Amino acid sequence: MSRLPVLKGTLDLLVLRALSWTPMHGFEIVSWLERAANSSLEIEDSALYQAVYRLEERGLLQAEWGVTENNRRARYYKLTSAGRTHLRAETRNWVQYADTVTSILTASKSGEPAPAGT
Amino acid sequence: MIRSGVRRAFRLALRRRDRWEREVEDEIKLHLSLRAEQLVAQGATPEEAFREAARRFGPLTESRARLLEAARHRELRMHRTEYIADLRQDVSFAARTLGRQKGWTAITILTLALGIGATTAVFSVVSTLLLSPVPFPHADRIVYVEQQPSQGNSTGIRVTITPSANVVRAWMQTAHSFEAIEGTAFGPRMLKTAGEPSRVMTAEVFPTFAQFAGQRPLRGRMFTAQDILNGGRVVALSESFWRQRFGSDPSVLGKMITLNDTSYMIVGILPAAVQIERRVRPADVFLPLDVQDDKRSMALLGRLRPGVTIEAATKELDSIFARTGQFSSGKLPFKTVITTPAQRVQMRDSLVMLTAAVALVLLIACANVAHLLLARSAARQRELAIRAALGAGRWRLLRQLLTESLMLAFLGSACGIFLGWVGLHGLIAMRPTWYDEIQLAHLNALTLWVAIGLAALSGIVFGLIGTVQSARYSAHDTLKNSATSVSASGRHHRGRATLVVSEMALSAMLLVGATLLIRSMANLQNADLGFDPKGLYAVRLPTEPGHDTMPAARSAFMTEFVSRLRQLPGVRSAAIASVAPGSRSFSIGRLEIDGETAPPAGTTLFVDVNQVEPGFFATMGIPLVQGTTFTDTSASARQVIINAGFARKHWGDESALGHRVRIAQNELSGKDEHPANSEPWLTIVGVAHDAATTGPGSESTAPVLYTASGATASPTVMVRTSGDAKALAPITGLLHTMGIRNAPTIDGTEEFLSRALSGPRFIMLVLSIFTGLALALAGVGLYGVMAYTVTQQTREIGIRVALGASGSRIARSVLWRGTWLAVLGAAVGLVSANWATKMIESQLHGVTRSDPLSFVSGALVLILVAIAACVVPTRRALAVDPMTAIRAD
Repeated sequence: MSRLPVLKGTLDLLVLRALSWTPMHGFEIVSWLERAANSSLEIEDSALYQAVYRLEERGLLQAEWGVTENNRRARYYKLTSAGRTHLRAETRNWVQYADTVTSILTASKSGEPAPAGT
Repeated sequence: MIRSGVRRAFRLALRRRDRWEREVEDEIKLHLSLRAEQLVAQGATPEEAFREAARRFGPLTESRARLLEAARHRELRMHRTEYIADLRQDVSFAARTLGRQKGWTAITILTLALGIGATTAVFSVVSTLLLSPVPFPHADRIVYVEQQPSQGNSTGIRVTITPSANVVRAWMQTAHSFEAIEGTAFGPRMLKTAGEPSRVMTAEVFPTFAQFAGQRPLRGRMFTAQDILNGGRVVALSESFWRQRFGSDPSVLGKMITLNDTSYMIVGILPAAVQIERRVRPADVFLPLDVQDDKRSMALLGRLRPGVTIEAATKELDSIFARTGQFSSGKLPFKTVITTPAQRVQMRDSLVMLTAAVALVLLIACANVAHLLLARSAARQRELAIRAALGAGRWRLLRQLLTESLMLAFLGSACGIFLGWVGLHGLIAMRPTWYDEIQLAHLNALTLWVAIGLAALSGIVFGLIGTVQSARYSAHDTLKNSATSVSASGRHHRGRATLVVSEMALSAMLLVGATLLIRSMANLQNADLGFDPKGLYAVRLPTEPGHDTMPAARSAFMTEFVSRLRQLPGVRSAAIASVAPGSRSFSIGRLEIDGETAPPAGTTLFVDVNQVEPGFFATMGIPLVQGTTFTDTSASARQVIINAGFARKHWGDESALGHRVRIAQNELSGKDEHPANSEPWLTIVGVAHDAATTGPGSESTAPVLYTASGATASPTVMVRTSGDAKALAPITGLLHTMGIRNAPTIDGTEEFLSRALSGPRFIMLVLSIFTGLALALAGVGLYGVMAYTVTQQTREIGIRVALGASGSRIARSVLWRGTWLAVLGAAVGLVSANWATKMIESQLHGVTRSDPLSFVSGALVLILVAIAACVVPTRRALAVDPMTAIRAD
C-alpha cells in the first residue's frame, strides 16, 4: 500500500486530535500520528511543526517548556478550550463532508445513493 | 489562548528575538535526535538513522527558514493580541474607576474643558488673524509699504500716505530689496449692468498681481500691460463673484459690464485665492492699475528677497525716494514705513494680551487638574498598594494610571473643543461693530492639534505625578499604616498648597487687569465729551457732478438746502461743517503765534481744522468759554475760534482773545501757491470748550482751529434733532425737489461713539470673562484643598473638640488657613500684576496701570472668593463628631 499525501487543512485537525488526549511535544505528535495512521499517511516532519506554530498563533494551542521522560527539555503543546471547541466543530464538518463525498463517489449508476456501509 | 495574567506570571510575554529563534532551533534538534534514536531502536546503524531522520524532516535549510518565519509571525500576533487585551482591560477599568467618582470626574473634565475651550477660542482667532494673515506664497516675506510724515504727527492717530506713481516706479525700477512690488487700490464702485445698480468691491491691481499671488486665471486671462496701453477698459472677475452673480457662466468672457459709468470688457476669472488682503468683503472685480499714470497714488505690498531685513529695505526705499524730488536741507517730508501683515492686524496688541490672559487661565486649569489628581492619588494609596501586593508590576500600575489620565484628557479635550467652538462664536458675536475680520476665524487643524496636544500632555504629566506620588511609599509601609496617617504627610500637602497659591496669584493678575480695563471703560463712558451727542446727526450729501468744479454753485446750493432743512419738523438746528464727529481734517504746517518766536523752518505740525458756520457751536452743544462765535464769516475777516485745551496750554489763565495765529505752510504740505510765511494771520475771536469729537479719551491740548470762511462749500451738515433719525427721513425727498437723485448718508453721533467704544468694551468683556473663569477655577481649587485638609484632620479636629475647643475656634482655624493661602497668592499676584499691566497700559484711559484702587479691589475680590470657597469645608469641620472621629480608622 502506497502512502497517502495529507489533504490540505486536515493536518491541523489531526494535530488537534493528537493533542486532545494529553499535552505532547513535537516528536510525540509525529509518532502518535504515524501509529494512528498505521504509517499510511505521508507527512513531512517539518510540515507538522509549521502546523503547530500556526495553531498556536490562532490561540488553539498553547505551548510550555517541559522535560521529557529522558530528562530532555522539550516544548509541550496543549489544547486550549478554544482549540477543543474548534476540534469538535471541525471534526463534525469533516465527517459530514467525507460522508457526502463518499456517497456521491460510490453511488450506483441509476443516481440512487448507495446505502451507507456498502 | 493564554490569559494575560497567566502569561505574565510565567514571563512568557515579551520574548526577545534571539530567544524564540533559539527555541525553534532546539525544537528541531530534539526532534531529529529523538527520531534517530527511534530508528536505531528499530535496528538501523546510527549513520543511517541520522540520514533517515533528516530526510523525513524535509530539506533542512528551507524548512528551518519556514519554521522561523512561522514562529516570528506567531510571536508578533500573540504579542499584539495580548497588548490589545491589556488595553481593553485598562480602558474598561479606568472607565469603571472614573464612573465610580462621578463628581470628581465631572469637575476634572470640566476644568480641563474650560481651560482648553478658552485657549481654543482665542487661539483660533489669533492663528487666523495673526499667524496667517495673507494668502500669498512665501507669506513670511510679504510686507506692506507705506509712507508717513517724517515729523509733526502729534495727532495720536496713524497717518499714512499712499506713495504716488512716480515714486512707485522709481522703487520698482531700482530697489534690490524686493522680488516684486505690487500697487493696489481698493474701493467700492457701482455696478450698473443688469438690474438695479449695486455696490461691488473693486481692486485695481497691476497685471502681474495674479502671478504675485501664485495663481493663474481660472478661465480667460489676466489683463496685461498691453491692455493698459489700450486704455485699460478690461476687468477680471473674482471666482466667487462670477459664481454668484453670473452663475458660473463661462460665456461672460468678452462681455461688457458697466462700473461707475465706464464700460469694461470681462477678460478673465481669477481664483478665490487672488485677494489683496484677507477681508470679510473681498474684491469682486479686478481692474488694471496703471503705474505710468502720475496722477495716481497707490497702496503697496511687496515680496522681500530672501534674507533682506525690513530695516535694510526701508533704508533702500528712503534713499531712492530722496532721489525722486528736490527736498530742501536734505530733509525728506515722508519716511518709508514697512510693516508685516501681522503688524497690520487690527487690535493686534489686544489679541496678544488676550492670548496671554488665556494662557493664565489654562495654567490655572492645569494646576487645578494637577491637584485634583494628586488628591485622588493620595486617596488611592491603599488601593494601589494592595494591587502591587497582589502582583501587579510597577509598569502595569503606571499604565493603568496613565490610561485613566489620558481618558480624562481625551474627554476633557473633546468637551474643550466643543466649548472652544461655542466660545469662538461668542467672541464673534461680541465683536466690535467695525471688527468684521474676526468672523474669518475658525477652528482650524493647527488649533485642534494644539488643544489635543495640550490635553495629552496634561494627561501624561498628571498621570506621572500620581504614580510618582504612589511610588514614594512602598506597599508594605502603606498597608501597615492606616490610610489617614500616610496621606496626611506634610510634603504632599505643601505641594498642593503651592499649587493653590499659584492659582490665586494668576487669578490676582487677571483680576487687576480686568479691574483696570473696567475702570478705564467706565471713564470712557462717563467722559465729558464737551458736546452733546444726543439726537445729533451728520448728514452728508452725495457728490453731484458739477459741484466739484463750481464751488460757488455748491455754496449757494448748500445754503438753500440748510435753510430748508431747518424748516423740517423735529429739526432744532443745523449748521454746515467740513468735519463731522468721527473724522478729522488737518492743516499741515508750522503753527505760528503772532508776537512769539516762530518754530524753526521745516517744523511741521498736524493742526485740526474745521470750517464751520457760526451756528455750529450751538448745534453741537459746544459752549464757548471765551468770546463769541464768528461775527463776520467773510474770508477777509479772518476770524478763528480755538479750543480751550490749546488756549489753556498756551495762554494759561490769560485771555486768548485778540491773539493772532497762522499755519505757515511749507513745501511739505505740498502747496506751493503760498510760499512760507506769506500765509495770512487769523484773529482769535472765541475759545470753544474742548470737544472729543473723535471719541472719548482723545487728546484735548492739541490745537483745533475753527474757521468760518468757505464753510458752505462743504457737503456735510450737522443736524440737531429733538428725537431720533426719523426726523431726518424727509431729507431724501427734500433733495429730490432740489434736483438731487441720490440719497444722502446720515450718521448718528451716538452710534459713532458707541462704535468707538466697542473695541475697548470687547476687550474688557473678554478679559472679564476670563477673569471670572480663572476665579471660579481657583475657587474650586482652594475648595478642593480645604475640603481635603478637613477630611485629613478629622481626627485632630475631633480631639480638639473633645478637649473643649469651641466651634468658632475650629471654624476660625479652617477659614484662616484658606484665607492665608489666598493672601499669599494675592501678594504674589499683585507684584506680578505690577509688571504685567504694562501689556494694557496703552489701552487705559483716565487710570494709570498702577492704580491702587484696582489693585486693592482685586485683592479683596480674591479673598472674598477664598472665604466663599472655605464655607463648605468649614461647615464640615464644625460637623465633626468627636466620638466617631477618634474611633475611626
